[in-house]
Amino acid sequence: MNWLRLRRLWRPAPLKRHYDTVIIGGGVHGLATAYYLNRDFGITDVAILESQYIGFGGSGRNTAIVRANQRTAENVRLYEEGLRLWAVLTDELDFNLMFFNCGNLSLGHSEASVGAFRMLAGTHNFLGVKSELLDPQQCAEVIPGLDISDRPRFPIQAGLYHPPGGIVRHDAVVWGLAKGASARGAHIHQGCEVRGIETDGGRVTGVRTSLGDIGCNRLGIMAGGYSTAIAAMVGIELPIHPLTIQAMVTHPLKPFLHHVFSSNGYHVYANQTLKGEIATGAHMDPQVNYTTDATAYYLKHQAEALVELMPALRGVRFMRIWAGLADMTPDMAPIMEGELGWDGLYLDAGWGYFGFKSGPVAGKYMAEYMASGERPEMLKAFQLKRFLENRYSGETAAVMKYGHWD
Amino acid sequence: MGMGDRDGAGVVADRAGPPEGRLPGGPTCRVDFSRPLDFTFLGRPVTGFAGDTVASALYAAGVRIFGRSLKYHRPRGLYSMDGESSNTLMRIDGVPNECAETTELRAGMSVRAQNVRGDPRRDVFGFLDAFDRMMPAGFYYRVFHRPRRAWPIFQNGLRRMAGTGVLDPVGFGDGGRAESGVRAERYLNADVAVIGGGAGGMAAALAAAESGLRVCLFERRGWLGGHLDWRTRDFDGVALHRRGEALAARLLEARSRSPEIVKVFTSSPVTGVWGENLVTGFTVGTGDDPFRECHWECRAETVVVAAGCMDRPLVFNQNDRPGVMQVGAAWRLARTYAVRPGGVAVFSVGDDLGLEAAADLAELGVEIRAVADAREVGRQDAELVAALEERGIPVLSGWAASRAMGRGQVKACELRPLNGTGSRRFRCDLLVANAGMQPRIGVLASVGARLAYCSHTHGYRPIELPPGVFLAGSMTGLRDPRSIEASGRLAGHGAVTCCLDGAQERAGKAAATGGREAEATDRHGAASVATARRDADALPGPVAGCGIRHGPGIGRGAKAFVDLDEDGTYKNVVESARQGFDVPELAKRFGGFGLGPGQYRVAGQNLAMIMAEMRGDPVEAATPTTMRPPLAPPSLATVAGPNHDVHKRTPLHGELAGLGAIFRRAGAWERARHFSEDRACRDEIRNVRRNVGILDSSPLGKFRIFGPDALEALQRVYISDMRGARRGRCKYSAMCNDMGQLVDDGLVVREGENDYYLTTSSGRAGPTVEWFRYHTRYDGWDYNLVNLTDVLGSLNIAGPNARKVLDRVTDSDVSNGGFPYLGCRRITIGDGVEARCLRLGFVGELSFELHVPSSYCRYVWDLLIEAGADFGIRPFGLEAQYCLRAEKGHVIIGAESEARVTLTDIGMGWLWDREDTASQKVGAPALRACEKQPGRMKLVGFRVDGSGRGRNGRDGGGPGSGSPRDGAVVVDGGEIVGYVCTTRRSEALGWRYGMALVREGVVGLGGRLLIRQEESPGRPEICTATVVPPPFYDPEGGKPRS
Amino acid sequence: MTFRLTCPVCGKRDVYEFTFGGQERGPRPTQEGLGAEEHFRWVQFRLIPGEPREEWWYHGQGCGVWFRTTRDPVANREVEGGDGDG
Repeated sequence: MNWLRLRRLWRPAPLKRHYDTVIIGGGVHGLATAYYLNRDFGITDVAILESQYIGFGGSGRNTAIVRANQRTAENVRLYEEGLRLWAVLTDELDFNLMFFNCGNLSLGHSEASVGAFRMLAGTHNFLGVKSELLDPQQCAEVIPGLDISDRPRFPIQAGLYHPPGGIVRHDAVVWGLAKGASARGAHIHQGCEVRGIETDGGRVTGVRTSLGDIGCNRLGIMAGGYSTAIAAMVGIELPIHPLTIQAMVTHPLKPFLHHVFSSNGYHVYANQTLKGEIATGAHMDPQVNYTTDATAYYLKHQAEALVELMPALRGVRFMRIWAGLADMTPDMAPIMEGELGWDGLYLDAGWGYFGFKSGPVAGKYMAEYMASGERPEMLKAFQLKRFLENRYSGETAAVMKYGHWD
Repeated sequence: MGMGDRDGAGVVADRAGPPEGRLPGGPTCRVDFSRPLDFTFLGRPVTGFAGDTVASALYAAGVRIFGRSLKYHRPRGLYSMDGESSNTLMRIDGVPNECAETTELRAGMSVRAQNVRGDPRRDVFGFLDAFDRMMPAGFYYRVFHRPRRAWPIFQNGLRRMAGTGVLDPVGFGDGGRAESGVRAERYLNADVAVIGGGAGGMAAALAAAESGLRVCLFERRGWLGGHLDWRTRDFDGVALHRRGEALAARLLEARSRSPEIVKVFTSSPVTGVWGENLVTGFTVGTGDDPFRECHWECRAETVVVAAGCMDRPLVFNQNDRPGVMQVGAAWRLARTYAVRPGGVAVFSVGDDLGLEAAADLAELGVEIRAVADAREVGRQDAELVAALEERGIPVLSGWAASRAMGRGQVKACELRPLNGTGSRRFRCDLLVANAGMQPRIGVLASVGARLAYCSHTHGYRPIELPPGVFLAGSMTGLRDPRSIEASGRLAGHGAVTCCLDGAQERAGKAAATGGREAEATDRHGAASVATARRDADALPGPVAGCGIRHGPGIGRGAKAFVDLDEDGTYKNVVESARQGFDVPELAKRFGGFGLGPGQYRVAGQNLAMIMAEMRGDPVEAATPTTMRPPLAPPSLATVAGPNHDVHKRTPLHGELAGLGAIFRRAGAWERARHFSEDRACRDEIRNVRRNVGILDSSPLGKFRIFGPDALEALQRVYISDMRGARRGRCKYSAMCNDMGQLVDDGLVVREGENDYYLTTSSGRAGPTVEWFRYHTRYDGWDYNLVNLTDVLGSLNIAGPNARKVLDRVTDSDVSNGGFPYLGCRRITIGDGVEARCLRLGFVGELSFELHVPSSYCRYVWDLLIEAGADFGIRPFGLEAQYCLRAEKGHVIIGAESEARVTLTDIGMGWLWDREDTASQKVGAPALRACEKQPGRMKLVGFRVDGSGRGRNGRDGGGPGSGSPRDGAVVVDGGEIVGYVCTTRRSEALGWRYGMALVREGVVGLGGRLLIRQEESPGRPEICTATVVPPPFYDPEGGKPRS
Repeated sequence: MTFRLTCPVCGKRDVYEFTFGGQERGPRPTQEGLGAEEHFRWVQFRLIPGEPREEWWYHGQGCGVWFRTTRDPVANREVEGGDGDG
């Protein structure tokens, strides 16, 4: 039985003094970019620099929810392609990413949310992505145990059911992509912290790292929440705000929650993992922050929300809480940019809390962008300059207070 | 006393003789044989006693298999008596995953095993155990995905096998069968929070209490004493448990002397220590407590961590067999619960406590065949070895358990030397095993201490403690009770000094010293720390620990569990490392170690030690991985606590309720949304258009701004030229943010010299002061802004008869001449209530809004209702107001505006004073930048073609009606170019109108919009509409002016 | 709850009593002749190295004062007391 032979998933590689392409960040975005650079463009001279271990950042700290129920067409198209990649990559990488296509149910708690959901359903279905507007009774049929009575502070008024979504085993994506990238020649360097970026005459020429200096022709910053700190090394100001976002799991239970549900009103999303834990999260403290500290405040907030939405969870116990960084932009859409004032420098950041589900598809298009130097059509909506023109992507309707993420 | 501070039950003396199957209750027994408690296990009646836990009662009743393991469905038994594995998580009274080892037995409980149908002795999935070779670490990732079609089938199978506890999602709920216990919460402050009620913790608490500082001590067990509690060994002529009791008595005495200073919480596990010493946890209610569990948070100046030690599990072949248990479990079963842990036992230990336990159990009549001690010869406490050998029990130094035998439970075991060959087998029904003790480092990890492996104690110790955190007790490797107490005193004095230093610093800053602290300073010389340190240093230090990484002779076929929760074996560690996951942080995710209910707290040190061995690293390289809170698992209901519902009601809430209002939460307020089941509110709308309606608009933001620079502030935050605000006249304007997006609109009235009254939308009442102050924070302007929102209520009467109604309740001139449209007057209502009266037109009719002190609202309401009776006055709610204003094309923030559009995009650019750059108006630069930008989304009005009634003649629109509803999208060719913000069918107009945000250039005035909604996939509904300018109703605006 | 901030009026209080007002970036640029890009750069764009920085906070659940304090985003802790306009 071939699958029992245990080999290293990715090869240890010597640190070369120069690579054609260096990618900062060993998460799903960086690993996917490296993978597609080779698969689609034959570029093998690639290094991925990870300051901790691969998947340390947001890639290993999310609640693994994937979906394409975004608000605007540009975003729906991108995430829809992303959804299709899970099965494709499982085959290509010969690594089971465990895509559980369980569907997502968003809950609305106001009259306004009904209109908002209708707008989403109309947009998705027009673009060929399935979504359905549900009334509270239908919500309870999809997810038994939801309290659709008037008891909650904000009673459920509507639901948006999105069948194409689901959950993926997040670590598997990291490891599978590492396996694929490594097999295609990329060097993965863990424990390699970038401390500076070298430039020469308007070009990036390399990076200074904890393991020594590395030269490169092209440099991709794909470091999730840490991207702002790395961009700052070459003086690039960004409209990105790294915030700590928290998630937690309960003790494992036999499966009873067969879909992902989320509620903007209660700032909650929840799903049951393959292991049976209820994984749930969403809260972000508002201040810029590079820590991954969880807070007691949030544990309480989350419990308050969950016991209102699903009273059966009252006796279930929290087992573990953790946090990761979300790189928030003012319009909740990413920045994928190669025009940053330095030739050869690319940025793939600002994914907020959508970074996991977008990893493979972002990598695919960033690889195209970096290999060709031409911005792919798919990425036209995600340019940095939109913030200098005050043209938001519309991914959120919410109006910012003071600017930035203030 | 509320939650009260409690010290738990006192030791229950031997009030009645032991029942069958129980040991005689000794001096440390906590079970009261005179109080039997009946409960059921798998539906069969069982009897335990007060003081039992569920697990001790079951064990006493002969239950050995408590459940089945997660992956391989192996039988599992009692293990730690501290809930350190999922072996004994059970379903109790319908609640899954309750910890039987620590849950106090109550009469009538219904207990069931988990991960098995019915009796855990028989499990149809038991065969899975034979397949472990087929399931190496990470095997899930390598199989089941080919062919692609097969995965969903496998996935469902995997899901069904997952999890342990069963939850019925619909069987609970309101007044449900199970989790309806009362929850409480409590917020505490302390100078010194002590975590751990053992000797070290108690000594620390006493030291701090003697200095007069506020102390909170938290102990997870139901009583104080830590590991002294059940030990009867003589020390300096006193039994150890007596020593513990004496310390506890002193502490409780200190508490009764000054209960406000000393607080002691038992049955109170700590869940975490968060930034700047916020200690959280929960208290499990016992006896008379008015709650089942109470969540608490304690903000402490300093924290003393005295969390003690736990058994480090010994990793050896079949180490999960029921009958294999930790030293603490066997010992406490016997000494605390008077339950015989086994008939014939073998010990394999790595610490003198293990030897002591063996000797003690022998004393209690357990036959002990052998004691293996993983430490070399000569490291043991000679007295204990002698005591064992005296009883003819061989002590095998340098030996450890290598295998447990027996299928359902242990029948025999094998011991082997760690170095060398040979083995010995013993028949036994109890194998008491550990690898020595490991410190409970969860709290240390939680406070952010950096930890390193100590090759002397063979446990983790902090290299650096955060400020204000002190360490005491056995977790430092101390074993001598005097040393432990001395370490506690030292930590206590350290914490006191730290508090006083902090207080002094604060006092220096604020020039005000708290009397209590000053007093404490006097009593507490700096010398105390030095003395305490001298005392501690004179006593025995940390003892050498046991560095065994796993039992001897682990072979390829061994089932040696590193993590019992997720069936993570030694073999899985090897397999993980071979696949590149050779550091604990990666291996734990790949192989599944420390991710189950016991978390990393139990398995962590073993995993790190084994990984270091595999990498060929010295044991010092066994770096710990991140340990995450909660350190003890709280139920969601407990953390949620009473779940206070904080919201506001208007002064007229009762009146509205009496009139049949249906309320909805709108921001902070509970507001009347409808007055009938007709969600379209036709009657309410009709009555405003034809007669007169009355609206409780009290949540409207109401402010007074005055002072020399009030106008400057208004000019900054409002987009219009606010010099135009005049006496007696409402000036309508808006506020934008720096992106030019609309954040608020409202009225401003000048009321005097540098004195203005202004209104904001209800949702903005909260942040308005913050907003003004933020945008003027550099200017040093002199103005006062007073929030009158809750002080003043607001009543709005609107409709053709509004004046007639108002005229009846006031002597003031309310004629069109005397009180014109957009006028603002002070008028007197009824017997002398002075009101600000604003003549407005938000809903498009003649309308007056009365702002009166909240306490007069009901009086004014009654007057208006009475006066309006002849004119058809009826209340209307938010939804009716929403429709009425939409017919007028008036924008509501969030409904017709969003992040993509600016003030000018939504047709309100006329408010903007373009000429003014000097005032530095917030939003003006953005408006300037975007005004002429092509392709922006713009707000347009439309009239739905046809009647708007839809095919089935329904007014509401929606599925099958052929008429659009809010949120329908606007399409152009293959593109989405906008969406409908609001659309309603207007009875007054006889057609369906709406407002949509549509990309500029797609369609002009008089053009066609293609509106499409598809609420269910494959069922699109399409209609067309003609772009018409708002307002739709009364376009000339004559009605509000009439 | 995580850390505490020093309100110039109320002293050390839990961070959840405050509203975050963003990084200090100086008074708004003079609007006379202000370019669009310059304006939006000032509003939205920031340099966020992992170093302590001055920030604005509002004690909304306290005394209602805006003040400046220095916080280290790497530790997520205040590094010195407030000196705002309270």
